[in-house]
Amino acid sequence: MDLLSLVHIILPLLIVVAAGFAVLLRDLISCTIALAAMSLLLSLEFYILHAPDVAIAEAGVGACITTAIIILAISMTKREEDER
Amino acid sequence: MSEMSKIVRSISNLLLPFILIYGFYIILHGHLTPGGGFQGGAVVASGLVMVLVAYGSERFASWVKEKHLSVLESIGALGFISLAFLGLSTAFFYNFLAGKGGLFGDIPPEGSNPGALNTAGTLPLMNLAVGLKVIAGLASIVLVMGLASHYFKQGGENDT
Amino acid sequence: MSKRDLVGVISLLILVGFLGLGAASMREFGVVDRAYMDDYIISHSQDEVGANNAVTSVVFDYRGFDTLGEATILFAAVVGVIVIFRREVHE
Repeated sequence: MDLLSLVHIILPLLIVVAAGFAVLLRDLISCTIALAAMSLLLSLEFYILHAPDVAIAEAGVGACITTAIIILAISMTKREEDER
Repeated sequence: MSEMSKIVRSISNLLLPFILIYGFYIILHGHLTPGGGFQGGAVVASGLVMVLVAYGSERFASWVKEKHLSVLESIGALGFISLAFLGLSTAFFYNFLAGKGGLFGDIPPEGSNPGALNTAGTLPLMNLAVGLKVIAGLASIVLVMGLASHYFKQGGENDT
Repeated sequence: MSKRDLVGVISLLILVGFLGLGAASMREFGVVDRAYMDDYIISHSQDEVGANNAVTSVVFDYRGFDTLGEATILFAAVVGVIVIFRREVHE
């Protein structure tokens, strides 16, 4: 097994781990950072699948502008998730 | 959204020129390298949004007016559609500048080559129009939301 | 397990089944079955459009209507956000 196919296996697992952190964490700012990390890993996955156009768009929109919009929305409400 | 600390502001000042140059490079070389109007516009808009988050939306709104961003976005959209209509003598979205010589009119050699900027007809102009539109659109979305978040945080209810 | 959870689990299983069925009948990774359009664009786009980047020549020339729709969607999104938030911005 060469290095590239190993990366093709490891990177989707890291994406799933980051998405799980985004769901499970209590602090909403931490959730947003986990979502941004997921977006960045997804853009890396697009890049190694030979789609650099989509990778640049994903890195710009997903990792920066979405994070900023969600942080603005959190600053309108409160930072901690409610305990049920 | 209020102002962040001095460290964040200094780092965003340091990073802004590099992000802007990279974004405009992606827009202007859209017909040669991966990328194009939307991608480069998203990169430039994320640089502007970084400055907005670091300095707070009030100070950013004193530098970049939301009205001007709307005008820029309309200019981009109108430029794109009018470039599409200019080729209407043959077909909608016909590339009327390609292969005619003059500005952007050269034809590159066949096969793999490093490429020249003076090729591809209307494609660089369309990239520029779409890039302008995406920059202004995404920046104005985040700017308006930031100003409104400041308002909601005060808890004001005084409608006009 | 309540009744609501049971319904959720059953619908999730049905969804996973259909997705697995769809994934099992996909073709080999990276192999196209019909490539007439691809071959045409790869061999003709440098002469007809003059751009080295075939993706940009598809996006802005051969399939310009798609880009027009994308620009319209972005415009509609900006107009919607400004309509919702602007009344609060200018007192």
